[in-house]
Amino acid sequence: MAIEHYFILSAILFCIGMTVIITKKNAIVVLMGVELILNAANINFIAVSQLDNIKLGGQFFALFVIVVAAAEAAVGLAIILKIYKYFSTTNLDEINQLKG
Amino acid sequence: MEYSELLQPLPWTPPTILCLVILALPFVSFLLMATTPNGSRKPMSWIASGMILFAACLSLYLLLSTWASPANHTRFEWFTIAGMPKVTAGILLDINTALMLVVVNVISFLVHAYSTAYMKDDEGYKKYFAFLGLFTFSMLGIIMADNLLIIFIFWELVGLSSYLLISHWYQKDSASKAAKKAFIVNRVGDAGFLIGLAILWVQFNTLDIEALKVLMQQSMLAEGQWASSLGHVLNADWLTIAGIALFLGAMGKSAQFPLQIWLPDAMEGPTPVSALIHAATMVAAGVFLMARIFVLLDIHALTFIATIGAITAFMGAVAALTQHDIKKVLAYSTISQLGYMLMGIGVGAYDAALFHLFTHAFFKACLFLAAGSVIYALHEFEHDTGLKFDAQDMRNMGGLRKKLPFTFLAYGVSSLALIGIPFFSGFLSKDALLSGAYAWADVMSGGGFSFYYLVPGLGFLTVVLTALYMFRQLLLVFFGDFRVISKHSDHSLNEVKEVPFVMKSALIILGIMSLGLVWSINPLDHSHSWFLGALKAPAILTPGFDIDWQPRLIELMFSNHIEVTLISITMIIIGALTGWYLYRPGSPYAKSYFDRKDTINKFQALSYNNWYLNEAYKLIIEKPLLWISNGLTSFEKRVIDRAIDSLAIGNVILAHLIGWIDRMVVDGFVNFSVFFAGRIGVMTKSLQGGKIQSYILIAVFGIVLMIFWIIW
Repeated sequence: MAIEHYFILSAILFCIGMTVIITKKNAIVVLMGVELILNAANINFIAVSQLDNIKLGGQFFALFVIVVAAAEAAVGLAIILKIYKYFSTTNLDEINQLKG
Repeated sequence: MEYSELLQPLPWTPPTILCLVILALPFVSFLLMATTPNGSRKPMSWIASGMILFAACLSLYLLLSTWASPANHTRFEWFTIAGMPKVTAGILLDINTALMLVVVNVISFLVHAYSTAYMKDDEGYKKYFAFLGLFTFSMLGIIMADNLLIIFIFWELVGLSSYLLISHWYQKDSASKAAKKAFIVNRVGDAGFLIGLAILWVQFNTLDIEALKVLMQQSMLAEGQWASSLGHVLNADWLTIAGIALFLGAMGKSAQFPLQIWLPDAMEGPTPVSALIHAATMVAAGVFLMARIFVLLDIHALTFIATIGAITAFMGAVAALTQHDIKKVLAYSTISQLGYMLMGIGVGAYDAALFHLFTHAFFKACLFLAAGSVIYALHEFEHDTGLKFDAQDMRNMGGLRKKLPFTFLAYGVSSLALIGIPFFSGFLSKDALLSGAYAWADVMSGGGFSFYYLVPGLGFLTVVLTALYMFRQLLLVFFGDFRVISKHSDHSLNEVKEVPFVMKSALIILGIMSLGLVWSINPLDHSHSWFLGALKAPAILTPGFDIDWQPRLIELMFSNHIEVTLISITMIIIGALTGWYLYRPGSPYAKSYFDRKDTINKFQALSYNNWYLNEAYKLIIEKPLLWISNGLTSFEKRVIDRAIDSLAIGNVILAHLIGWIDRMVVDGFVNFSVFFAGRIGVMTKSLQGGKIQSYILIAVFGIVLMIFWIIW
């Protein structure tokens, strides 16, 4: 398969993720959008990794991103949990205050 | 001669130091009276009188000790002006000064003493004595000064004290008006005086009298030019103008035609003041000044002076004929006699003019003080009986000789002296004057007939009128019935009381001085007078003056003396008989005079109104002046005020315009920037709505933009 197809898939995935982040009200869904974008990036990494067969830097980076994403998801969910406890909602439109 | 030599300082000598003491005494009296509390005014006034008495004694001593000696002159440097000879001041004590010192101090003392009784209940007692002191001080300054500038300063001071004393009863409208009139009319004369001083200063660069005499003698007249010895050249007319301008000063002070209108009004002051200032001393200051600068006058100025003097003598005598007020008669008589004196100066009879000044000072002061006694006695009478009448109106008097014998005696003696009856002082001086005038007319017309004879002619005519008005006054005041009680029959003449002793003693001393024997061993011939023996007319030093003029005058004066005496005695008899015929007790004319309200013919109206001079001034000076100032007022209102108003209106319009621009343009700009900033704020605020997703959207949009930017 030509490398362009991966890029197109990645771009589609990025766009879906972006759309989810921007349009969805629920904070947890937004986090899910972020995961989609991260995975779009991972696809790109892996796709370009075939051009570099010796070092496999792209694949390595993809693994790294997955680890960081797992950490990020944990921290993000913890924050959302705290926000939900405080505001009794996870609707991003209603959480518009910086002052606690 | 150099200025440094002419104006060199001269040392102080005992006589001039004594002069300074005499000058200081009245000033100290003025300060004393002005600063001590009102409660001690009576004893202080006696101390003031004592100081003047002391000054009088000192001046008598000075007169006797410097009798035949040459003039004492002390001079010191006063100040300097760069490039000019230094200005000096000093004291010049010659025989004139010594005599005048005695006259002023003696009369001032007598007036002081007289006033302690006359003014005893007056509210302004303290003020009155203070100003008397100030007056005496300034008068003595005029007499002693050796410099025309200093004379001018004291001249003004005399004018000031005269003003202050005339307005003594300043609550009375007429008194304050009279004071203002005297002051303003005198200013006219003083302007002339100042012009005279300016001419002399321009020509000679000094005003010291002794130096002026030398410089005047050295100056030359040639081809219509008057050149001083230092090379300054003026047109020859300025020599005459200088003399006439200086005479203008004397015209103001000595009440000469046409400036004599202030003197009758000045009678609003207290009567002793009239005696001292407006009869004996201040009004004679003009004559004294003319005597001081006599040698600086040229023939035209002298002729002018003689003419004005003769006219004034006649006009004053005519005006005195019909006055009702006892003091007004004396005031006009003073004008007339001052005219005589200045006529004497003008005709070159310098010694006779001064002689008349001195005799007149005594007998006129005596007349005024005696008139004051009459007024005082009638005031007391008015006060005691509760009647209301004018105590100065002669129509209310009559028969007072029985109750006021002393006053009558003094009045009689001094009236006879004024008329010029032999054996009285006035006879001597007036004859000397008239002989001088007659001789002058002879010399000036050179044998034939000319208008110069008008001057002695007016002089002789005045003798008739003098006899007439004085007899009229004596008859009206002291003879006949006391006319106030004939109207109110429940009172009698016995209630009129003679005046206090102090007043009487002043009258006695002045009355004695009016006798002829005091002034001359032979009371029928003025040439035997000790006075005229001591005074000799100095030779006139003006360039171009005929040196034979004065010797010829003296020669003719001696030869026409008998003739003149006979003429004047005839004149006196005519006048006296007319006076007796018209105003004798019980005459029909006198009776009609007491009852009528108004003057009966044009001549009387002319005399009563003093030749309508006041009206003439109103017409010639006051009306045009008022017209001009009214014109200027309306010009100011219509043009200047309106211009200023329209300027102001223009300003307001401009201000409104600027206000509008301010509001619309400047404020608009500021408001617009505020509005703009607000809009920007609103716009940028909407980006930060607290919506996290919109932030992300914008960030993505920005990144996309940047990517596009980089790719392109």
